[in-house]
Amino acid sequence: MASIQVNGKNQEVETPVSLVDVMKMNNVTQPEMVSVQVNGEFVNRENYSTVQINQGDEVDFLYFMGGGSRC
Amino acid sequence: MLKPKGFTTRVIHTPFAKEDVHRALHQPIYSNAAFDFESAENMELAFQGRLPGHAYSRISNPTVENLELRVKEMTGALNVTALSSGMAAISNVILLLASNGTNIVVSNHLFGNTLVFFDTTIREFGIEARFCDLTDPAEVRKNLDGKTVAVFAESITNPQLEVADLLLLSGIAHEIGVPLIVDSTLTPPNVFRAKNFGVDIEVLSSTKCISGGATSVGGLIVDYGTFDWGKSAKLAPLAKRFGPFAFNYKLRREIFRNLGACLSPFAAYLQSLGLETLQLRFEKAVENCMDMAQFLTTIPRVKAVNYPGTKGSKFYDISKKQFGNYPGAMLTFDFGSKEECFVFINRLVIIKRSTNVYDNKTLIIHPASTIYCDFSQSDRENMHVYDTTVRLSLGIEDVEDLKNDILQALV
Repeated sequence: MASIQVNGKNQEVETPVSLVDVMKMNNVTQPEMVSVQVNGEFVNRENYSTVQINQGDEVDFLYFMGGGSRC
Repeated sequence: MLKPKGFTTRVIHTPFAKEDVHRALHQPIYSNAAFDFESAENMELAFQGRLPGHAYSRISNPTVENLELRVKEMTGALNVTALSSGMAAISNVILLLASNGTNIVVSNHLFGNTLVFFDTTIREFGIEARFCDLTDPAEVRKNLDGKTVAVFAESITNPQLEVADLLLLSGIAHEIGVPLIVDSTLTPPNVFRAKNFGVDIEVLSSTKCISGGATSVGGLIVDYGTFDWGKSAKLAPLAKRFGPFAFNYKLRREIFRNLGACLSPFAAYLQSLGLETLQLRFEKAVENCMDMAQFLTTIPRVKAVNYPGTKGSKFYDISKKQFGNYPGAMLTFDFGSKEECFVFINRLVIIKRSTNVYDNKTLIIHPASTIYCDFSQSDRENMHVYDTTVRLSLGIEDVEDLKNDILQALV
């Protein structure tokens, strides 16, 4: 297990866990409409599945359009 | 799952951001100013951008967002922002990228209000516009330096109807690490794939053909996500955090929000409907323009006809390369004098005397005495805006009626 922060809130996740796993857990259904940062740095879409999230990491999803997601 | 490929099919079937509770087939008009939240926590997250949700219609609105999603679908852009006018789109982009002491390389042939914005409005804030011939690569290179923040062009200049080689221009701009911004109002996204020609940011007046034929005033900023904002001194810190979203972050969370030039939901609704028939209407208007250009050359009193879609135009080849069979629906032609222009314009019955372009109605104007009336005669001539020229924006009427109107006005 690892303790991470997603959009400023603590989450406990089973490891190993990739960025795309964290996105699924948090219902980020339309990644093309969201900007993703890990520890304050932008992550390219093509790297979502390869970036591993570790203990203490901070993950942020930012939406730029009001409705944002078709969820 | 079958995915539509055609322009019109994709526009018409762009999904709503959220399914309508009544399963309406058109996005309803949300004319309210503000939105409720389930909790203070959700409100905080939405304000931070961490939860999708509308808070206040100056910042975002479901009806406006539906228009933005449709434009995003038809352009393949990373981000689209709808604004209150085409000039709002231009001013938001320039104020976002430029600051005191920087410069922008622009065409010396621009739409009148854009020209004054560059030459006067931003100059008063210490931003220099360097006017040059964008069809001359050597001249463009000569004007670029370390303080340049962008190159700005019109896809077809108005009213000169010049066409710069945009792929070449983008290559020059990218060589020194600045984006190419193009106002493509005269060549909407159904005919001009801006991204394929190296355009990083596209601005449009959606008032024209997108609105359904001048039903409402609006503008669009289309961000293709192609430029590396890490090369921009102003946006580099944001690029580290947001990558290709850096431009949009600054736009949506600062410039657009604080300048307040938001599109009204009603205008967004009309423009969303307009998009559905854009291809049909533009095809007809261009067909009329082609026909009219040919027709005008047969009239002895008409001294010259200027249209990039005619083989005699020096911009025919580049226009064909960039816009295919749709080189715009606007032309200019010349008489012997200003007086002759005025007499002709006054005698027209069907064709309307108006400053707009790409209405469903055919519109005529004498640019020198109207759009460029604040400039001196010599300034106008330097800009190739002559007293003897009239501008005709073709609508979608039956072209024989337009020809007959012109013939009776010449008597």
